[in-house]
Amino acid sequence: MTSYSDNERKKLKKNSSELPSGSVSGKPGRRVTSALGVWDARIVTLISAVCILVMAFILYFLISESLPVLKATSLQDLLFGMDWYPQEEPPALGMAPLIVGTFIVSLLSCVLGIPASLAIALFIAEIAPRRVRNFLKPVLELLGFLPSIVFGFLGMTLIAPWLQQEFGVLTGLNVLTASFLLGVMMIPTVGSLADEALCAVPDELRAASYALGATRWETLSRVVLPAAAPGILSASLLGIMRSAGETMVVLMAAGGAAIIPRSLMGPVRPLTSAIAAEMGETPVGSEHYHALFFAGFVLLILTLIVNLAAERIERSRRFR
Amino acid sequence: MTNIAVSSVITGREDRDAGTEKDVHIGTRGLDLYYGEAHVLKSVSFDMYRSSVTAFIGPSGCGKSSFIRCVNRMNDFIAGARVTGELLVDGDDIYAPGTDVIALRRRVGMVFQKPNPFPMSIYDNIAYGPRLFGVTDKDQLDDIVRRSLEWAALWEEVQDKLGSSGTGLSGGQQQRLCIARAIATEPEILLMDEPTSALDPLSTARIEELIRDLKKDFTVVIVTHNMQQAARISDYTAFFLMGELIEYGKTSKIFTAPDEARTGDYITGRFG
Ligand SMILES: Nc1ncnc2c1ncn2[C@@H]1O[C@H](COP(=O)(O)OP(=O)(O)OP(=O)(O)O)[C@@H](O)[C@H]1O
Ligand SMILES: [Mg+2]
Repeated sequence: MTSYSDNERKKLKKNSSELPSGSVSGKPGRRVTSALGVWDARIVTLISAVCILVMAFILYFLISESLPVLKATSLQDLLFGMDWYPQEEPPALGMAPLIVGTFIVSLLSCVLGIPASLAIALFIAEIAPRRVRNFLKPVLELLGFLPSIVFGFLGMTLIAPWLQQEFGVLTGLNVLTASFLLGVMMIPTVGSLADEALCAVPDELRAASYALGATRWETLSRVVLPAAAPGILSASLLGIMRSAGETMVVLMAAGGAAIIPRSLMGPVRPLTSAIAAEMGETPVGSEHYHALFFAGFVLLILTLIVNLAAERIERSRRFR
Repeated sequence: MTNIAVSSVITGREDRDAGTEKDVHIGTRGLDLYYGEAHVLKSVSFDMYRSSVTAFIGPSGCGKSSFIRCVNRMNDFIAGARVTGELLVDGDDIYAPGTDVIALRRRVGMVFQKPNPFPMSIYDNIAYGPRLFGVTDKDQLDDIVRRSLEWAALWEEVQDKLGSSGTGLSGGQQQRLCIARAIATEPEILLMDEPTSALDPLSTARIEELIRDLKKDFTVVIVTHNMQQAARISDYTAFFLMGELIEYGKTSKIFTAPDEARTGDYITGRFG
């Protein structure tokens, strides 16, 4: 983005060659650090150390606040218990309905959202003429800045009443509504990341394919998409994790019932909405309080598993 | 339709007389190429012969690459590119409306200046073209892959790792892989844009040997900045300057007794 005039570039070159010989390595990446100077490098190290420390502290806090719940309820009951009645005495803290709620809503939102995102990315990156692309890409990115509460609001005021009216379902605030909203919500992020992955495929590969007599579609499906697959995969992954972690939309549009839904029209209460709705109303240090921290911990583990799985897929793909 | 065209080429090969001047394979008549306002090729007219090697020489920016991109219509992808005049392949004007560009590209193979293997296995790289043609039979594909790699003098080095990625090969191996990929579909014409510019002398020698071999079956057009190379491997030489074809003829004549003073000056290194 920054463009240097020839003179400036020469100056930059000169500066870096004036550095003590020990700090100038052959690698271009290293030269940047040496150009930054020793002090800047130390500041960068310091900042990243602070970041890691903060993360470690959050993790410690999360674990230490969630462990006490195990004193009263067994791990098995927490994870597989079917009843979530935290206000009762003694509280029933079975999280299975919440975990299933998170699973089903994030999976369904991906089923809806990822194909749509990919279709949009393909259109923007490969099919649309340059002028249309230059218009659509910023619009797409702008949509990503819409606050999630706007989506929740749309769900409550438009989609839910429409579903109730047209299909006569018990409540319009359900798995389908929440998943649909989450699916739409992930389109800007997943779509523009996938678009970038497609654009990063070198034109030489496309040229090679066309020169062998491939059509546009053959080039796209056999060369461009496979080459962009890692980027598309990580974009999709980000979509899944965003859906699993999204709070406001599910709080407003998923219905909030802590039961395993019988159909896609049934209401659910994913982990995030349970935490958001209940944290403010529970006494600090109560069993319920610790259980909510435990829910957060479960959420963390879930996203971690998704991450590791993706890394696995990626690695097996590379070494095939 | 394409398959028929290809097989007729294969069968037509035996009774072909190498390098006969009567057998024009590619011809141009007043070919002009513009990139937007820039007039890149200026009224180029000449004939290239079947089963011969034609070398394009000339200083950087004179339009050699642009010319060979006209022959398989890869210029179609450059915004603002415009061609006027005629470019005939086997007597058919490939810029005539209604030309099947996909079929044309299947007859005209291309090796790019920079090696550009697909990020897939060596096997899949070679099988890419034949699969486009509809070859699905495993034995047949195995056969094509092996023969193409042998042709490109790469088989020995990669026969044990056909499943590993083509992008993991060295630069010279990648270039030979790209050559193997281009000849796997048995095009009639092979366009090569400075195929040895990034190679060590040994790889260069192998590819030159390959080109001499190839011309039995293909019409080869090669761009090169290496005068010795042009003299070694080509039957005909075309000298371009600022988008104009200055001189064209038998390589032996161009290199020993060129008609134009500028040709001689360029070849002996007095300018360019
Ligand atoms: N994609 C393009 N868009 C616009 N102009 C181009 C493009 N490619 C090449 N040109 C211009 O066309 C002219 C001929 O370029 P070309 O690449 O054909 O030269 P060349 O003879 O192959 O040179 P070299 O020996 O350096 O490869 C040059 O002036 C160049 O700037
Ligand atoms: Mg060139």
